[in-house]
Amino acid sequence: MSRVVFSTWRGEFVDNRGKPSDKWDESGFKLPETYDGDTKSKAFIGWDGVAIFHEDIDAVELASKYAAQYQEYSEACGRCAPGRWGGRILYDLLDKIARGEGTYDDVSHLKEVSETMMVTSKCEIGKTVPKPILDLMEHYKEQFDTCIEAQQPSKHYNGDTSYIAKVTAPCTDMCPAHVDIPAYIEGVRDMIFTDSLAATRQTMPLAHTCGRVCPHPCEDACRRANLDEPISIMELKRIGADYETDHALPWQHPFEVQPPRNDGKKVAIIGAGPAGLTAAYYLGIQGIHVDIFEELPVNGGEVAVGVPEYRMPVEKYNKDIQLVLDLPTVHIHNNHRVDAERLKEIDAEYDATLLAFGTRLSKKVRAANENPKMKGYWGAIAMLDKVNLWSKYGIGSPASNELKDKVVVCVGGGFTSMDVVRCSIREGAKKVIMLYRRDEKTIIRNTTYEEYHEAVEEGVEFIFHSAIEEIFDDGEKITKLKVNRFELVPDPNGGRPQLQKIEGADFEIECDYLIPAVSQSADLQLLPEEWNIELTSWNTILTNGRDFMSSRPGLFAAGDCEYGPMTIVNAVGQARRAASVISRYIYDGKVSLTDEEIMEDHLNKLKVYDKSEKITGWMPGLPRAVSEKLSVDERKDNNKEVNLGFTGEEAIAEAERCMRCYYISMVAV
Amino acid sequence: MGVHNSINTGKPITVTIDGKECKSTFGKTILEIARENDIYIPTMCYLTKVQPIGSCRMCVVNVEGVDGMILSCQEKAVDGAVITTNNDALFKERQNIMRLYDVNHPLECGVCDKSGECDLQNKTMEFNVDTQHFTARDQHRPVENWGYVSYDPSLCIMCEKCVRVSTEITGDEALKVKFGGYGSTIINVKKERNYASLGEAAAVCPVGALVQTHFKYTTNAWELEKIPSACPHCGGGCQMYYEVKQDKIYRVTNEFEFTNLCGAGRFGYDYANEGVTKDAQAFEAAVEAFKKADSVIFAPQISNEEALILQKLKEKLGFKLICHEARAYQKFMEAYAQVSGKHLYGGNLKDLSKSQGIIILGTRINNDSPTLKYHINMASKWQRARVAYMHPIEDSEMQHIVTQFIKYEAGSEEGAVALLAYTLLSDADIPDTARQALDDLDIGNLSAESNIGEEELEALRKSLLKRHGFSLVVGEDLYAHPRAEQIATWVALLERYAGFNVICVPPAGNAMGVSLVCDLDDTVEGKTVGYNVKGDFTLSALGNGDLDMPALNQQEGTLTTVDKRVVPMHVALPYGGYVLNDIANTLGLRAAYTIDYTAQLPEESGFKSVAFDDLPEYFDTVGNEHRGYLLGEKECDTQLNIEEVGELDTFDGAVIYRCNPENQFSPFTAKSPLLSEEAVLTGSQQFAAVTKLKEGDEIRFEVDGVTFTRVFRIDTAMKGTIALNPTFDMGLSASLLSSYRFSRLSFEKSNNDKIGNNDE
Repeated sequence: MSRVVFSTWRGEFVDNRGKPSDKWDESGFKLPETYDGDTKSKAFIGWDGVAIFHEDIDAVELASKYAAQYQEYSEACGRCAPGRWGGRILYDLLDKIARGEGTYDDVSHLKEVSETMMVTSKCEIGKTVPKPILDLMEHYKEQFDTCIEAQQPSKHYNGDTSYIAKVTAPCTDMCPAHVDIPAYIEGVRDMIFTDSLAATRQTMPLAHTCGRVCPHPCEDACRRANLDEPISIMELKRIGADYETDHALPWQHPFEVQPPRNDGKKVAIIGAGPAGLTAAYYLGIQGIHVDIFEELPVNGGEVAVGVPEYRMPVEKYNKDIQLVLDLPTVHIHNNHRVDAERLKEIDAEYDATLLAFGTRLSKKVRAANENPKMKGYWGAIAMLDKVNLWSKYGIGSPASNELKDKVVVCVGGGFTSMDVVRCSIREGAKKVIMLYRRDEKTIIRNTTYEEYHEAVEEGVEFIFHSAIEEIFDDGEKITKLKVNRFELVPDPNGGRPQLQKIEGADFEIECDYLIPAVSQSADLQLLPEEWNIELTSWNTILTNGRDFMSSRPGLFAAGDCEYGPMTIVNAVGQARRAASVISRYIYDGKVSLTDEEIMEDHLNKLKVYDKSEKITGWMPGLPRAVSEKLSVDERKDNNKEVNLGFTGEEAIAEAERCMRCYYISMVAV
Repeated sequence: MGVHNSINTGKPITVTIDGKECKSTFGKTILEIARENDIYIPTMCYLTKVQPIGSCRMCVVNVEGVDGMILSCQEKAVDGAVITTNNDALFKERQNIMRLYDVNHPLECGVCDKSGECDLQNKTMEFNVDTQHFTARDQHRPVENWGYVSYDPSLCIMCEKCVRVSTEITGDEALKVKFGGYGSTIINVKKERNYASLGEAAAVCPVGALVQTHFKYTTNAWELEKIPSACPHCGGGCQMYYEVKQDKIYRVTNEFEFTNLCGAGRFGYDYANEGVTKDAQAFEAAVEAFKKADSVIFAPQISNEEALILQKLKEKLGFKLICHEARAYQKFMEAYAQVSGKHLYGGNLKDLSKSQGIIILGTRINNDSPTLKYHINMASKWQRARVAYMHPIEDSEMQHIVTQFIKYEAGSEEGAVALLAYTLLSDADIPDTARQALDDLDIGNLSAESNIGEEELEALRKSLLKRHGFSLVVGEDLYAHPRAEQIATWVALLERYAGFNVICVPPAGNAMGVSLVCDLDDTVEGKTVGYNVKGDFTLSALGNGDLDMPALNQQEGTLTTVDKRVVPMHVALPYGGYVLNDIANTLGLRAAYTIDYTAQLPEESGFKSVAFDDLPEYFDTVGNEHRGYLLGEKECDTQLNIEEVGELDTFDGAVIYRCNPENQFSPFTAKSPLLSEEAVLTGSQQFAAVTKLKEGDEIRFEVDGVTFTRVFRIDTAMKGTIALNPTFDMGLSASLLSSYRFSRLSFEKSNNDKIGNNDE
């Protein structure tokens, strides 16, 4: 997969030194051979080994510079005795050797201090930094020996090699917003909750929201799972955010808010959902002028009008929104629909425009006689708009006018469909049925265990392996549905099992409402045709997924309108990157990434989490904390927040389970 | 449904440590269980009273079947674990950690304040580190003087204990870790505040990095004699040691591993009545004065034993016995007992620190009782407790602890507490008379009069839903309130029927002890003898009376604490004059020493018949307190008599509130030079506008017959039209200032313009 001179990455051993180039073994990992564009990497060194791409590498300097990073990246260390002193000794001794002043005693001290660090350090940085250094000392021993014996500097000491480093963690890498998760968990452990919140907000302004409704992909990359159960990462995020609110503290910004630049540069953002708010935050905090254009009278996008109150109380979301809107250079324009004509004006007026309008069109279920105009046919987006605008803002009328004592069938399987059925219960529906093509396991994977479990508790009937074949109406409204049943048939050729219709198993459901929640699509009519904006095959705006510029220079896209319907945290991650690119683009007209971002992408490709790694030095079997939820009777007829959050004791216990899996990686170019 | 407990805390477990079978409960760490069983595991950063820090890594152990070394201070023991606390490999790693700690540690033990009691010295010896094994480039790091404490970063081992204390215990949140690898350091982010509570952070420093500034370079630690005692200032009775050499107190320390001491306790020790000799003439006069006295009036800065002597003299001589603060508290508690059925409040500090919901009412708690504030802070940090602070004046020092500030009008305490009862007892099973009284409350009117919105009460009720463990802390604003007995009735209802852990914070000094020992009278009559109070004949430990008396750090005796404990004090400094017991003996009582009265303290008030010298004074290895004894609880007859809420007295315009600054409680703290504090009237901009006062104006006004001349200062962190008026500087008059804490301000400017706002 990668062409290397030498590699000890993740337990492999590749040594091509002295071999003819056609006999070279490859590394099995996607290592960053090329740093960026035409820039080749000389070496990559990190927590799990070292890979050399260039024969003429200065291994001594590489080791010493890697140890130096341990001092540079202060946020991750200095908090345990072995790490604090050991890290410094590592660097001092390696640099002494690299300068040409080292001795063999220094080598033995290096080994000894490395051993202590690897066994006793508080976090994984301390435990892992010595590993590639020891690898280099073993496999490039002759370079070390030369420096010591000849008392001469290493071969390219203080030469023109640049070293670019980045700290990450498996959870941080897996999080689409790359939140510094170990730092915010440490804030909880230290009970300095403001630090926890500030750590989150470095890359994630919606701390209240993503502390409540994030599907937490990070937890799938939690190393603690290799030992017992993953950390309850998401819920710990909420602690800092709630602390700020509970104590009426001023906004805990991660960096100092810069004064308005007033340099005439300005950025337009279409849509005040998670993506739009995030981009506005990271542009605004730098003092860049931002105008957000929002079609609805309320802010927050789909999270405001889609995600129900019991899951995401709007007063909490409003805190996240206010954090952004309180920035002096961020301006919001509500009830401002942007169509193609308006977008042309905006495009002409602003130095850059970010499209962040989401996917707000409900897709059809594709059944016979499907007529979206028929009474009883109610798209999920429209239905949730109605529920939420009334329950959160008092706009419109209650959906119970329509749903009370009615039979509701929803077709779906994702978060939106869960919101539909659970809201229907709360609006007083007599019977609520969810039809889903696949099985229980898949619905849990697509949403969360809690979400599914709570819906079942509240009385939602799930019918798996089912799909609507035909919709019946009486000319005025829907009356019943014909439903096919399927089964999973294994592929005799060993491929994926296929869903096959079970003949004769069809059945009918009498119902008043059919709510399709299969998926949503982007409403693209605001794109002027003559721009010929390139689209993806699923009709969203095409970008390269790294800098988020569309085919039109200066026009960027992030969130669901770029990716398709996805998570809040995905929208946040994309928008933060887009904001970073835009913040440079408006000055130099170039699309560029920072070293930090380039490294972020390399690590993401390489994959930081290793699910087969064996964990040592931690006590297994400490239970994962589970927050208390309102009981079914306490919650099913109202919009009270279901999840009560962690008690203090649970929060601290959970934070103490975190193993602080920080890693340093570094590329030499 | 039981209490939600997803982490199985409290489940019985059995583990084996070094071959010894140990029974304990889940939730405890390996280190805690080892200590319970007297098994030693070395640590450098462990501090029992805070959550595990985990910075030193010395406490690593091996667990059978688990690879690597396990951090015993943080990792909870799981059932069946087989643990080894020491072997060659563990010793080697611990030794290497000590070698790292010793890298570039300045070799200044000869002059270091910590020498002789330094954990680094001790562990360096324990692990045989006799040479500097590793080297690293040293860095220049100058000493910082932060006021009460000084910080030397080059001596600091970054154990982070001080930061934990500042965060979890004292709640000043002044100290932070500044991350930076080898350059990591502790920073003080609130230097301008010069918190005396940082003395507590210095107390836990295992090395000489954080020290009391005044103590630096004054003596070697091992030359000091540690005299165990209890702090007499606020009524907390916190454990302390006077550290003495040649009749001089050099510093105050404490059992910091398990207990806490505030700035007043730590720095307010220098108030002894020194150089006194026996003045036979003055003594004669004192005896005569007692014989002729119609009233004896005394300040609550007194031991239980001396209070008993005064009580016995009253019984013998028939004078009125007056202690205003204690009397108000006594009446409040009598009314309380009629409802609760017990003569003491039910709460204690440990339960308070474990509460998930806390309501504070009628006290400026940060000033009135630091130890209460610390325990509330612990609950805030450890339990994420909701903390509702009900008071007419907001306190910015409490912002990081308080989750809901409920402001009520000065004077409306009865209405406020009735509304609280109405809110919290709505679903409770209570007697019909109480239910009737609640139903009869005119909520709209009470809400309007007290200015507490019904939505605020609803928010309070909601914030406590699904939580467990509630505490109610009430204080001195209530005791001298004209409707104190009715207020006590409502508070007691909350203890009895809403399950609240209630603490009625006693006024400063030993007011609680006095209230339990003495049969006090309400009004002063005729000729008076004053004890630490101005009387016709004055006995004074401040040294300015007709006969000198010893200060509390010159006496043996006991105090009664807010935690309902009777604790001993010992003599820190000698005293050459007469004591109250001498007077009493002359008047016909018989006791060789004051402490002969310790075993005679009234059992009907919960005291025990234990001789002073038999009182224990220690904490065991896991921190259980064995200091004196806990007061026994006495059942009382109950009688529920709820009156209609009285007409609210209005406090329009400028109001003053009797309140001492942090660390000041009495003329004795005022006398302590390390706590130098300016006594000024402090108010908001708004107060300044209402009174037309400017910063620095001097005014004259009267409270309880005592005339004040005060400079006015604006505090921009304050709001509203109530100013803080201290009394600590008022010497022998301080104890006379004991009426309801709020009063309208009618004043004259020093240039004699009469501007009293209520008289216009």
